Amino acid sequence: MASRAGSSSRGRTGKGALAEEASTMKKVKEWSNWTLKKAKVVVHYGFIPMVIIIGMNSDPKPQLYQLLTPV
Amino acid sequence: MASTTVKTEQHDQPPKEKVVEKVDYLNLPCPIPYEEIHREALMSLKPDVFEGFRFEFNKGLSPQFALTHSVSMGVTEIPSQSPETIKIPTAQYEFGANFMDPKLMLLGRVLTDGRLNARVKWDFTDNFSLKANALLVNEPHMSHGMFNFDYKGTDYRAQFQMGNGALFGANYIQSVSPHLSLGGEVFWAGQHRKSGIGYAARYNTDKMVATGQVASTGMVALGYVHKVSEKVKKFDFVHCLVWDFYDEFLRPFFKLQVSLASDFMYNYMSRDVTASAGYDYILRQARLRGKIDSNGCVSAFLEERLNMGLNFILSAELDHSKKDYKFGFGLTVGQ
Repeated sequence: MASRAGSSSRGRTGKGALAEEASTMKKVKEWSNWTLKKAKVVVHYGFIPMVIIIGMNSDPKPQLYQLLTPV
Repeated sequence: MASTTVKTEQHDQPPKEKVVEKVDYLNLPCPIPYEEIHREALMSLKPDVFEGFRFEFNKGLSPQFALTHSVSMGVTEIPSQSPETIKIPTAQYEFGANFMDPKLMLLGRVLTDGRLNARVKWDFTDNFSLKANALLVNEPHMSHGMFNFDYKGTDYRAQFQMGNGALFGANYIQSVSPHLSLGGEVFWAGQHRKSGIGYAARYNTDKMVATGQVASTGMVALGYVHKVSEKVKKFDFVHCLVWDFYDEFLRPFFKLQVSLASDFMYNYMSRDVTASAGYDYILRQARLRGKIDSNGCVSAFLEERLNMGLNFILSAELDHSKKDYKFGFGLTVGQ
């Protein structure tokens, strides 16, 4: 009886451990999806401004009006 | 290569013997990156033909930083199931910013419909480099991105690729002799549940480049490019004099380099064959590329330098089998 009770409790903890692992995997996937979505938006809006900022600080430093005038 | 003529009048250089160098197998040159193995054939045979009008203005703000404004009015093609291609007239403006440093290259282009094309190349050590390439659109699930990690060894290159949709790939290329390099690649596409393996070989000398590539996706691609230079064999003394005059005074005005290229693509799964042959004339003020295909497609592309910083582009592609004729012209202003 005791052994049966012991085995059934071990079975329950086994299933519980598996369920926990599945939910952590789900959480990791959800979290990585969320970060990828945010990263995509950041790159989409921020890549060209970042290139412009890096370029404007390069050596020799161009002036701001040169960025806007066509010549 | 040593010249084999003797000019008895002006110079008295003794004829140099052709030296046969012993191959040092421990000191081979570094090969070309795997994805550029067909580079010469692609450059000569696949110029960027377009339809409509294109204007591009390249403004350099510093030696490393430049902005580009590009307007194109033309037709975009939509692939369709029917044999006729659907063409939709479009006009778009594209703004781009480039930053080129010896160690870091950033290139970004954004279109009026919000599509961003971004490329990054970062050499963080002498041998390691990171490349990233992304095409981001506003619609969800339609964006692509790919990261490449490259390692360059003394006579080999290795690359690992990671892309969206669980796309992983790796390739390796090794110089086997001073002229021959062999390479292989594997890739795995998680979303489409496909994997593949491929091999490539490239043999190049000063005058020619021959490449071959096979992949388990069914693709077989062979290419051959031959550079024809201006040096012709000098037969006799009078010929020598005339040739020397041409060589010294006239040749700088007619600098001509011709490449002849041919390409063969075969897909053994779908039994689709395409062979093409073309030429690439690089003149002092112009570059003309022409090609004819086994699909009945003839194309030509001319870039002419009208003035310092002003280039005129003409492009034509006649597809006789599909009865699709595309003509385009454009102007490029800027350095």
